[in-house]
Amino acid sequence: MTPTPSDLPEAAKRRLSQGAFTSGLSVSDFAACLEMGLEPLGLVQGFCAMQWTTFGSFGRGVTPFAGSSSGYVENYQCPHGMISSEHRMWGQNYEQTWIENSWRDGFNSAYSRMLEEAGTLGAHGVVGLIDSEGPLSDVGVVEFHLSGTAVRVLDAPAPHHVWSTYLAGQRLAKIFEAGYAPVSVVSSVASVRVLSSCITEYLMGGTGAMWSVNAETTEIEQIVSAQNESRAIARSFVRAQLHGDALHGASMTGLTREFAQGDLEIQSRLSGNRIRRFKDFDPLTAPRPTVRLS
Amino acid sequence: MSAPVPEIPLDLRAEVRRAVASLDHESRDSGSMTSDLSIDEELNLHSIGWEPVALVSGVSVFSVPVGCWNWGQGEIAVASAAQAHAFHHAITRIHTEAANVGGHGVVGVHIERLVYSTHIEVSLVGTAVRPVGAGAINGSGIFVSDLSARDFTLLMIAGWEPLGLATGASFVFAPRRSVATVLQQQSQNVELTNFTEAMYSARESAMERMQQSALAMHGTGVVEVKVVEGPMRFAGHAVGFVAVGTVVRLAKTTHQLIHPTMVVSLNDQNVAFDAQTLA
Repeated sequence: MTPTPSDLPEAAKRRLSQGAFTSGLSVSDFAACLEMGLEPLGLVQGFCAMQWTTFGSFGRGVTPFAGSSSGYVENYQCPHGMISSEHRMWGQNYEQTWIENSWRDGFNSAYSRMLEEAGTLGAHGVVGLIDSEGPLSDVGVVEFHLSGTAVRVLDAPAPHHVWSTYLAGQRLAKIFEAGYAPVSVVSSVASVRVLSSCITEYLMGGTGAMWSVNAETTEIEQIVSAQNESRAIARSFVRAQLHGDALHGASMTGLTREFAQGDLEIQSRLSGNRIRRFKDFDPLTAPRPTVRLS
Repeated sequence: MSAPVPEIPLDLRAEVRRAVASLDHESRDSGSMTSDLSIDEELNLHSIGWEPVALVSGVSVFSVPVGCWNWGQGEIAVASAAQAHAFHHAITRIHTEAANVGGHGVVGVHIERLVYSTHIEVSLVGTAVRPVGAGAINGSGIFVSDLSARDFTLLMIAGWEPLGLATGASFVFAPRRSVATVLQQQSQNVELTNFTEAMYSARESAMERMQQSALAMHGTGVVEVKVVEGPMRFAGHAVGFVAVGTVVRLAKTTHQLIHPTMVVSLNDQNVAFDAQTLA
C-alpha cells in the first residue's frame, strides 16, 4: 500500500492500538463474519465538515446565461414576447458542478479517513458501512460521516488495499458465494438548478391554463427534463467509478429544494456496492417455494 | 440453466480468501452491470436464466390548474387525467431506457407519487433485466413491473409472465352538506354519506381504469395491486383513489403447480443489520 500522509489524530492512533475490538455489527452479522473467516478489528469512522453555500443567480429570467455550467445546460425561451420586466423571458436548467464536486470532496475525504483508520488496524476491508450527511449547524456547514467495521481475513496475506461494502452478515456471505468480491462503496450526487421560464412557473403555480390554448393538464417539460437529467448524471458518475466492475444493491434517491418561487434545485443521489467477479458464476437450481409456519 | 447442487459444501472461508486475493489483479469484466437488487434477488433471477442489466428510471410531472380541488361536483377530471398522464409518461420513459440498455423488462420498480395542489409527479426506478446473454428485443415486448425479482421468479416458474404496469386514478369531490344537515349532524356521530359515496365513486372509476389498462395489454389479470386512498391534505372536500399493479398473462398452456414445502423457521426475528441503531 502506498504510504499517504496521515491526518489521523494521535488519540485515535492510541485507541486503535489497544486490544479490545469494537464493531457496529449486530450479533447475527458478527456471527456471519466469523463464519466467513472475517475477524472484526474495530469500528472505524471518517468525518468531514464542509462549508455549504448555494449561490443565487444574477439575471434570472432576463438572459439565457443566468447560470453557467460546464455540464448539462438547457434553455427555455418565453413564447410570449416582452410583457413586463417581471416576466420570465428565459428559463434555464443547469448542472451545478461545484455542488457535485463539493459533495464528492466531502464524501471522499470522510471515506479516505475511515479507510485510513482501517489501514492502521491492519484490516483487509470495512463491512456494514453506513454513511450520512446533514447540517452540522445553522451556519451553512454540512457534515459527512461514514462508519463501518474493519475486518481482517483470517489466514490471508497482508492487504495491499482496503475494500469496503455497505453489506454485512448473510448478504455479504452470499456475495462471496455468488462469485463476487466487494471492491468499494460508490456514491455520487447530481445537482440540477431550475430557473423556471414563465410557462414552467405558471404551470407549477397551477395557472398555466391562463397562458395556454390547452386549458387542461400539461406536462411540465422543464421540470421533467431536470429530473430525468439529474438521475442520468448521477448514474454516469457512478458508472465512471466502476472501471468494468458491477454495481450491486444500489439505492437512488431524489431531493427537491425550493429557494424561491420558480427557483429549484433537483438533486439525485446514487449509492451502491462496487463488486468484481472472481470466478465463473454457477447458477442455482430454481428456488423451492416454502410456506413458513411461524 | 439449472446446475446440479454441488455435493461438496462450499468452503466459504476459502472463497473469501480467493475473492480478496483477486482484488490485487486487474478487473475481470463484470459487465458494468448496475442494479438495485439484493443478492438474493439476483440469484433468484439467475436460477430461471435471467440477469440484471442496468438501473433505469423515468419521471413525469403534470400540471393541475389552480382551484380545481376546491369547488365542483363529481370527479375532478383534470386531476385524474394529470395522474393518468404522469403515470403513462413515466412508464414510457423507463420503458425507453430499458430498451436502450437491451433489457427485456424492468422488475422491482419503486413508485414514488407526489400529489400537490398544482402539479402531480410520478417517479419510477427499477432494474432492467433480460434472459442471460440475450440481445435487444422489439420495444413493444418489454414489460415494466413493480414485482420484486423474487416474485417475478415465482411468477415465471408458475408459467405466467408480466406484461406491464396497470394504473387507475380518480379524484372526486365530496359534496358539501347543507347548513341544515351540518347543524343536525353537529352533535351526532353519524356516517357522512357524502364522503362515503365520494370514496366509492373514486374507487369504481380508478379500479375500472386499471382493469381497462390491463385488458388493453391483453392481460388475464393484475397482481400485487396497491391501493392508496384518502382525503387530499390541501383540499378538505376532495378524496382520491389510486390503484397500481402488474398485469400478468399465462405464458404456458396451463398454470404450473409449484407445491410449496412447509417449513418451521428456527431463525429469530433479529436477522437484519439495522442501520438506524447507529444513527
